Amino acid sequence: MGAFLQPGFWVFVLALAGIYGIFALGLQIQYGVGGIMNFGHVGMMAISGYTIAVLVIKYQWSFWWAAFIGVFLAALLGALLGLTTLRLSGDYFAIASIAFAEITRYWILNTDSVTGGTQGTLAIPDPAGIGGYTTQPDVILTWISDRLYPLFGQEASRDMSMIFIVWPFLILFIWISSKLQQTSWARVLRATREDDEVPRSLGKNVFRFRLQTLVIGSVFGGIAGVFWALQFALLAPEDFLRIVTFYGWMILILAGATRVKGLLVSAIFFGFLYGATRFLEFWPLSLLSSPERAYLRVFLIGFVIVLLMVKRPQGLFGKRDEMVLE
Amino acid sequence: MPTSDKTILEVKNISVSFGGVKPVQDVSFKIAENSFTSVIGPNGAGKTSLFNLISGMNKVSSGEIIFNGEAIHSIHTHKIAQKGLIRTFQGAKIIKRLTVAENLMMAVQGNPGDNLSGFFRKKARREFEESARAEALRRLDQVGLSKFADEYAGILSGGQRKLLDLSRALMAKPSMLLLDEPFAGVNPTLVEKLLTVLAQLRKEHAMTFLLIEHDLETVMNISDRVIVMADGKIIADGLPNSIYENELVIDAYLGSRRKDA
Repeated sequence: MGAFLQPGFWVFVLALAGIYGIFALGLQIQYGVGGIMNFGHVGMMAISGYTIAVLVIKYQWSFWWAAFIGVFLAALLGALLGLTTLRLSGDYFAIASIAFAEITRYWILNTDSVTGGTQGTLAIPDPAGIGGYTTQPDVILTWISDRLYPLFGQEASRDMSMIFIVWPFLILFIWISSKLQQTSWARVLRATREDDEVPRSLGKNVFRFRLQTLVIGSVFGGIAGVFWALQFALLAPEDFLRIVTFYGWMILILAGATRVKGLLVSAIFFGFLYGATRFLEFWPLSLLSSPERAYLRVFLIGFVIVLLMVKRPQGLFGKRDEMVLE
Repeated sequence: MPTSDKTILEVKNISVSFGGVKPVQDVSFKIAENSFTSVIGPNGAGKTSLFNLISGMNKVSSGEIIFNGEAIHSIHTHKIAQKGLIRTFQGAKIIKRLTVAENLMMAVQGNPGDNLSGFFRKKARREFEESARAEALRRLDQVGLSKFADEYAGILSGGQRKLLDLSRALMAKPSMLLLDEPFAGVNPTLVEKLLTVLAQLRKEHAMTFLLIEHDLETVMNISDRVIVMADGKIIADGLPNSIYENELVIDAYLGSRRKDA
């Protein structure tokens, strides 16, 4: 259990939790406000992350412009996904969105000459010998960790610097999103999650509202992709499996889908669950090999989702009536 | 009756078919501005289907619908509503997980906060919200629901939901209102009160009403015209009194109940 007490590991988990928090923020506005079940959210993260890697390594763009384009492309694809499939009702849209994310992943996997294919971004053709895509932001991360060194000594790491970048952004985005959710725009959207005939009959273009939500959520997904790309400094197609979307859903359900501020706490809780499964190495779980044990995480998270749906459908912070009232 | 000669809504030979079923067949009528017309007919006569066509929720298979001189039969429901033609639903569709006041407030037209671009116009949004809420509370007071203003609408009873549905439609300040059985399941005292409210709206805001009702007596006094539908067609159209005497109507709809009475 020694590793359990290593601060470095938990620093990494906390940085990752912040990124997942931003990721889940996109799902929150889509589902918690607009009732849109997006099971392909990971696709947005994959697109922005890979856009950065390709533009910086292959075409020598600046990281910042590449990040901007990455988020823009995620938004654009969100719009495209919406325009083509948002007219499908709830469950069918969910299925289409999974297909969208899988198509994105398979495209990345099979376009070796651009994305590096199975070998990930390390295999992206690098004509200028840049050797990675994080050189520019790394200057900032190093600057931060230099400032943290007097306080934390050897524990001051790149991961810790990431925390100081990701979490203020998460808090800022939650604040913006909660302001947005107090507008009458969000009120119409909350109406559409229950029924679209009523808002339509009152002059609201329901399709426009839904499309806007999908795009806003995709922007958050894209931004999470930027931080993800920065955190890991290399990407591979298997980083963007379906399960990642469901991690986001777990954070959302834990917080209470309608409670945007709850994401702060539930992202940390998720990080703990995510990290803690690594330490389930006592008997009888010690009989499993380490990669097998990694799957316990999936079991555990699935179990928590089911438990919540049964016992607290409103999550830790939501109002029960808002979820269950008929 | 302060009915003008100007036509606000004209329905020209509209039909709709879903597979082999033809809920509305070759229906035509004109509605005069500021008039009060009731559509009656037995179950399955096509009354609600007619409303679905006028409000754009279903598209006509053939025919035309003209509202205020503009063809509306091929435009989206929300655009029709924005032109001032608002409908309610049979069985009261309320948004259960919005509060009662929010249900009303979302109906107000021209809210700057409904657009994302309005996000930065904080002052305009707040002022609009404040006046919308004040109006919502006034309307709730009118129908005795003000004590539920900040409760989820899902806790309301069936009758209360009807009142909310009607009040919400009025919040949109329509020039013409289509009401689908607004009085079914509402207690008689309240029906009287609502009829007074409608009559007042008609007088003060020159509103036009087209209303579906099962029970002719309820709307007898307030209507200046009654259209009777059966099997997707109009079988009678005239003054309320003349409908009582119409043999076709008695056969198709009022039947033995009238003869016995």
